[in-house]
Amino acid sequence: MDENRLQAKAPLGGRDRQIGRARLRERDELSLVSLAIPLGGEAELGDALKQAYGLDMPDPRRGRCKGDIWALRTGHDQMLLIFPHPTPDAGVHVNARLSTRAYVTDQTDGWVKLLLSGAAGLDALERLCPLDLELAAFPVGASARTVMEHLGVILLRLEQDRFLLLSARSSAESFWDAVAMSCEFVVD
Amino acid sequence: MTQPFRLSGGQIDRSRLVRFQWNDRWMSGHPGDTLASALMANGVRLVGRSFKYHRPRGIFSAGTEEPNALVQLRKGAAQEPNTRATTVELFDGLYATSQNHRGSLEWDLLAINDLLAPLLSAGFYYKTFMWPAKLWEKLYEPAIRSAAGLGRLSERPDPDCYVHGFLHCDLLVIGGGPAGLAAALAAGRAGLRVIVADEDFRLGGRLNSDREEVDGQPGTDWAKAAVAELIAMPRVRVMPRSTVFGAFDHGIYGALERMTDHLRQSDGKPRQVAWRIYAKRALLAAGATERAIAFGNNDRPGIMLAGAVRSYVNRFGAAPGRRVAVFANNDDGLRTADDLRAAGIEVASVLDARTGAAIVDTRGRKALRQIILADGTRIDADCLAVSGGWSPNVHLTCHQRGRPVWSDRISGFVPGGVLPPGLSVTGAANGTMTLGAALREGHVEGSRLAAELGQRPAKGGPPVAADASFAVTPIWHVGASRARSWVDLQNDVTTKDVTQAYQEGFRAVEHVKRYTTLGMATDQGRTSGLLGLGVLADLSGKPVAEIGTTMFRPPYTPVAIGAFAGRARGKAYRATRLTPSHDWATETGASFTEAGLWMRAQWFARDGEAGWRDSVDREVMMTRRSVGVCDVSTLGKIDIQGRDSAEFLNRVYANAFLKLPVGRVRYGLMLREDGFVYDDGTTARLAQTHFVMTTTTANAAGVLRHLEFARQCLWPDLDVHLISTTDSWAQFAVAGPNARALVSRVVDDLDLSNDAFPFMACAECTVFGGTPARLFRISFSGELAYEVAVPARFGDAMMRALMQVGAAFDAVAYGVEALGVMRIEKGHAAGGELNGQTTARMLGLGAMVSDRKDAIGGTLSRRPEMQAEAGLRLMGFRPVDRTQNLMAGAHFLTQGAATDTAHDQGWLSSVAWSPELGHSIGLGFLLNGENRLGERLRAYNPLRGQDILVEVCSPHHLDPEGVRQRG
Repeated sequence: MDENRLQAKAPLGGRDRQIGRARLRERDELSLVSLAIPLGGEAELGDALKQAYGLDMPDPRRGRCKGDIWALRTGHDQMLLIFPHPTPDAGVHVNARLSTRAYVTDQTDGWVKLLLSGAAGLDALERLCPLDLELAAFPVGASARTVMEHLGVILLRLEQDRFLLLSARSSAESFWDAVAMSCEFVVD
Repeated sequence: MTQPFRLSGGQIDRSRLVRFQWNDRWMSGHPGDTLASALMANGVRLVGRSFKYHRPRGIFSAGTEEPNALVQLRKGAAQEPNTRATTVELFDGLYATSQNHRGSLEWDLLAINDLLAPLLSAGFYYKTFMWPAKLWEKLYEPAIRSAAGLGRLSERPDPDCYVHGFLHCDLLVIGGGPAGLAAALAAGRAGLRVIVADEDFRLGGRLNSDREEVDGQPGTDWAKAAVAELIAMPRVRVMPRSTVFGAFDHGIYGALERMTDHLRQSDGKPRQVAWRIYAKRALLAAGATERAIAFGNNDRPGIMLAGAVRSYVNRFGAAPGRRVAVFANNDDGLRTADDLRAAGIEVASVLDARTGAAIVDTRGRKALRQIILADGTRIDADCLAVSGGWSPNVHLTCHQRGRPVWSDRISGFVPGGVLPPGLSVTGAANGTMTLGAALREGHVEGSRLAAELGQRPAKGGPPVAADASFAVTPIWHVGASRARSWVDLQNDVTTKDVTQAYQEGFRAVEHVKRYTTLGMATDQGRTSGLLGLGVLADLSGKPVAEIGTTMFRPPYTPVAIGAFAGRARGKAYRATRLTPSHDWATETGASFTEAGLWMRAQWFARDGEAGWRDSVDREVMMTRRSVGVCDVSTLGKIDIQGRDSAEFLNRVYANAFLKLPVGRVRYGLMLREDGFVYDDGTTARLAQTHFVMTTTTANAAGVLRHLEFARQCLWPDLDVHLISTTDSWAQFAVAGPNARALVSRVVDDLDLSNDAFPFMACAECTVFGGTPARLFRISFSGELAYEVAVPARFGDAMMRALMQVGAAFDAVAYGVEALGVMRIEKGHAAGGELNGQTTARMLGLGAMVSDRKDAIGGTLSRRPEMQAEAGLRLMGFRPVDRTQNLMAGAHFLTQGAATDTAHDQGWLSSVAWSPELGHSIGLGFLLNGENRLGERLRAYNPLRGQDILVEVCSPHHLDPEGVRQRG
């Protein structure tokens, strides 16, 4: 049956567009794995996270980064690990490294991952995102759950003018349209 | 055409000519002009007809308060009515026309209304169009609608686009006049993050219109330098063409920025942005609006506000007339004469109302020619500058029900009562009417706010300017006038209308407003409101302070609906969710239907099929004869993990879950707290601490929210964790007698025999040589069926592979329509039955509500009313005459009973044509249904005109014992 092996497909086929002074591209090689913190097990998971990935526990508004792995806090008992991992077994890998310290759910396939970069990126987000993205209020490494054009979004600031935007896979086309339209609307 | 009324000076760019069209005549102006100033420079006096009487009207003001000069802009789809010429920035190619006339502007046929004026007084509509009632909709409404209104909509989609946006600041300065600029400079220099928004395209406010000096330089130059300094500050954002239109809760302000209104074309950029501004503090520096004095025939073209006359002369270099008279009750207004003389314009007369000078009437058909004083003196003038004093623009202070208070000092209302939290007021908006004082106050307030927000105020004092006298005596109307005296120019309300309303018993100002329509036009009574209050005060013998004001509400100036809608139009109205097999389905020629935001394949038409029924019948028959595949990824999936997951499920489902073994699936029934059925689905136990719940498509988000509430608020002591995995998995139902054969060619190394993998089994496995997957043996169709799930990235490939492998069995893809037919045949409840008003017992699932445990909704589901023996029950129905089709929504009536709701026996909730049975079938709720099998009833549907006989049967039209799904 191996010749029948199923081929993976990115939600937007790896789309990449330069729009004015902003660049928007899909980063489908990123895997997302959610970790639920067992009741009363925060300290143990903290140790395990440190040991396995060298990461501190992320704060609700502040992600942690080590190498190419990001950890974001997405709920009072929930966090998200983001790292490049092309095969569909990211959850299995994390599970193996954290053993029973967290309840692991592979979220990779539930999301579309867009990287918005360039000088006009912030201007585009101004027409999309209700959050205050001034550097002092939302520094590099800051993360938040927010809403853009009615779609739920997890936003992470990778650098001053580089943002990772995560939104639901099924509405990926609508989300792309919303962000791309915002880039097009920027007046130079 | 030359510009015969163009003066020297002003802040226009004379090096460039801008050509525009007015009523199809080409004219010219300069950059920096408004349409109004350009029309004035070209000698155009008559610019429109009034709302009710179709009286000739001219330019009255120089700002957003304009009640008269309302014009239509652009052509075709972009046509925009009711635009104030005084705020339209002139651009090359601008096309504008006058409005509200039949025939030409000069010879308007509806001017006859002016002769009928005695009939058209306040309350005219209410009194006149009462009888006969049958003419209301046929004659009166169309006739009134045709005569009413000002401009005309194109009735075509707006070709421009609009967006929303979000801004954040420490301090929002509303208004960029002298006080606003002084405050912004103080705050900006102290390091605050400041936004300065001004509705004008040139900041500076009255500094641009008057000849006063600031810091020893012309006020306009000072304003220009202040703006340049602000723009250079990195944390300050200067927003011209931006009107802050509302003060909302929690320091949120609405602002409309006109991005491309002043350009010929938008070039794909948004025309306007509706900003939501989050401000820690806001400072209202919106200035003041001048008001008029009412006297006989005070509405002729050429009669203008005195401050506006100065704006046209000083800022725009346009002469409002050749021979101008001035009539005012305050020193500021009287100074207009000095500015006119300085510009070389003849001043016909300066009339100080405080010394008894009174205009009682005017002459001039289409433009002012002469004014007549109380003593009979006639003065020739083609323009009259009127000032009745200035009213602070307190509007935003009232948006959260603050009430302004009367100030005798300025004869006007100033901000008072409780202001929106975080909002303070400065300058003329605060009743500080002179320049020097306004600059000082703005500076002090800006510094104070900086300190309040933790910044050290910058060194340096306020800008310095003189304080010219502003003495004002309240005079609202000239009582000696016999001719009609206008109070509200835009809605054609005269002193007589206000008097009549008062005489008819309307005393409260809000009632007078609604009865006379005073202040209800698009200018919201900016120039007329206080005038009306003054007239009322004189009638009642009370001071204006006791009359009070009407309530100011957002928006401060009109905002197009398009701007509020933003991008939410057409395809972008809402997001669309696509299933993993969407591309495949599109290629296959599927028809789609909306299910919430989802687009789901409804059926897959093939060549030779005459209509959707052919396709659906084929999909059902092929599935029941061999095997069918359906994308069911839209069903909600919730990953549930934790030591207490089983206990949690046991509490949220009405039926027992504690002992569900690993590797098994159970149907779960979820009740609301009130005992009614909320949702249903299956939950699979993948491991001791790991479950996957499915929900209905419609309730996916709601159920997750419900569970989160239960977990976080009701039982925080349980170790249970939830996360949606709806979009993570592509899930396909494989149903039909050949389902096992097909699935066994797909999954790797899993024994699918009935013993090893029976009905309601589940397993984590792999498919097609190693792709991770989950397999569930569950059935919605009633057939031998599986649902196989793969990570969504493989969904497209999985659908193609299933169809390819399935070709050996003539596998068919089926859509939601066939899915619906099969579930009705099988008697499964869905949306029509789970409508939030049905109980487990009604659905025939009463035995599932365990009374041996406590679960959400359990207690209240045991209320006697919900357990009634002869209550509504889910039953099956079929037409007695099998050739007839059932219609959902029909109500059941016992044969021979009266046709009324008192005899209602239940209703038909879902219907389908069963290709298996060869006739129409339905599900519905019937009183005491269990005991009425075989009974014949009327299915009565007056909405759709159907009245047929049906027969009660089991809801399980097919395979009631479930032999197929367990096989």
